[in-house]
Amino acid sequence: MSISTNRLFREYKTLSTNPPDGIQAGPVNEDDMYLWEALIEGPIGTPYEGGVFAAELKFPKDYPLSPPTMRFVGGGVWHPNVYPNGTVCISILHPPGDDPNHYEHASERWSPIQSVEKILISVMSMLAEPNDESPANVEAAKMWRERRSEYERKVRGEVRKGLGL
Amino acid sequence: MEPTFDIPDSTDWLSTPLTLLAPLESSLRCQVCKDFFDNPVITSCSHTFCSLCIRRCLSTEGKCPTCRSSDQELKLRRNWAVQELVEGFNLARPSLLQLARRPAEGDRVTVDGGGQDAEHPAFKKRKIEQEDGTQTGAGEGIRTRSQRRGVVRQIETPPIEIVDDDIQDDAYIPDDGLVACPVCQRRMKNEAVFRHLDTCTGSRAETRPAAFGSLLTASRRPFQEVTEKPPDRLPHIHYSILKDTVLRKKLKDLGIPNWGSRALLERRHKEWMNLWNANCDSKTPKRKTELLRELDTWERTQGGMSTTTPDPSNSVMRKDFDSAGWSADYNTDFKQLIASARKKNDAEVRSTIPGASQAEPDELSSTLIVEPPTEAQTQIDRCSERLGWSGKGARGADSFEP
Repeated sequence: MSISTNRLFREYKTLSTNPPDGIQAGPVNEDDMYLWEALIEGPIGTPYEGGVFAAELKFPKDYPLSPPTMRFVGGGVWHPNVYPNGTVCISILHPPGDDPNHYEHASERWSPIQSVEKILISVMSMLAEPNDESPANVEAAKMWRERRSEYERKVRGEVRKGLGL
Repeated sequence: MEPTFDIPDSTDWLSTPLTLLAPLESSLRCQVCKDFFDNPVITSCSHTFCSLCIRRCLSTEGKCPTCRSSDQELKLRRNWAVQELVEGFNLARPSLLQLARRPAEGDRVTVDGGGQDAEHPAFKKRKIEQEDGTQTGAGEGIRTRSQRRGVVRQIETPPIEIVDDDIQDDAYIPDDGLVACPVCQRRMKNEAVFRHLDTCTGSRAETRPAAFGSLLTASRRPFQEVTEKPPDRLPHIHYSILKDTVLRKKLKDLGIPNWGSRALLERRHKEWMNLWNANCDSKTPKRKTELLRELDTWERTQGGMSTTTPDPSNSVMRKDFDSAGWSADYNTDFKQLIASARKKNDAEVRSTIPGASQAEPDELSSTLIVEPPTEAQTQIDRCSERLGWSGKGARGADSFEP
């Protein structure tokens, strides 16, 4: 077993025996530890409350030296830091190499001591507090900044739609 | 499913009354590989990792994974104390865990009594009150060390009945502030034990049954430096000053494979250097053949024999991905897939709606040809922008005007 699969197995076990509130994650298929799916509950007190968001995580072979990528599946998520195709843009998922815009502190970036659990917790708090300095979805960022109530209405609508209501 | 849960980890304690051992165990584990420290070394910023883990991190990034201060391989120092802690804990772990799990099973499973009836007449029961206040208070100190998890959940346990068998009841511990020598059972001051152990004859050892993880096997040897001369460390190479042929020869001289591209040669050499130098930190160094086997595992998973490119971009395609070339190269494959899909579709249509028209499958195939590449391509563009692989820092943010 290689270093990366070994570590992913451990993280899987930790996450299944002691999952953080509102988060579930594990490999899609245990034969391939490099593709995970995760479920994140919308944080309480935000327009995402009540929603359950599915995402997939793809791990590189040299994990944990390099970070995984994360993408919301099934309709994506209307959020300033989520690309329209669902890809999550958050500093913890970026390797601490070059940062063209210098808006991210190196301390927030990926490091081998980070983990799936920490990524998912960060994404959960990202849902609650968007970072509009580095928008991945410009439209959502504009709406969040200028027309907050419309933004919240739209998000709530999507949450309801996602739940099939 | 099963093999996954055979991996021991710190959460094993959470289902037992000894939940506070979880943070203790997680502080004995390397933050990079999540396994117990293996040949722990300490960085100049005072963080401890497995020798191999930190060498791999430093050779890719040159920074401590915990605090990101720059560090060099040469400054790593062995951390014997941590190594002994890990060894000691690992010796005690199985029996400790077994003991911790026993109360839960004690109601139904006969632990060691064979044919005894359900009442366990031989056992005495003792009630332990869980005092929440003391639990959390005692946890604080350990928890700060455990950077891995913010909050350790306290499993709510009802008052627990611990089933003691008679053997253990014998092991009455007087409350005199002294500790017993694990070998001869003589009681002495805590500080004196280790010194005493070096000379202990262990005369009483046989009289005590080793019911709880025999410490006899773990009897502490005075720590000594490796007596033989340790293997020489491999020096760093500045790859840029070496020509391909020289580097290839160097790899050959080291006895490791020297095939593949320049980049692969450098990565393989780096991995070998890390494996080798980490092995030099070991108290019981492995043989070279074993290291070669580990390099072979690396070769198959991340090196030249891995199925995908080891590049982190393997999960997403590059922006300059040649989609035209790709579709030309795999044209026949695509056509075959389309043909088989059409056949399958035909068969399904026939089986459900007898005499369905032929026009539908044709439409389907034309969308199949056009759609996937374009959709994929837009995704690729976005992702590569996000990760800055275009090299120009073309991020979504650039186009954003407040």
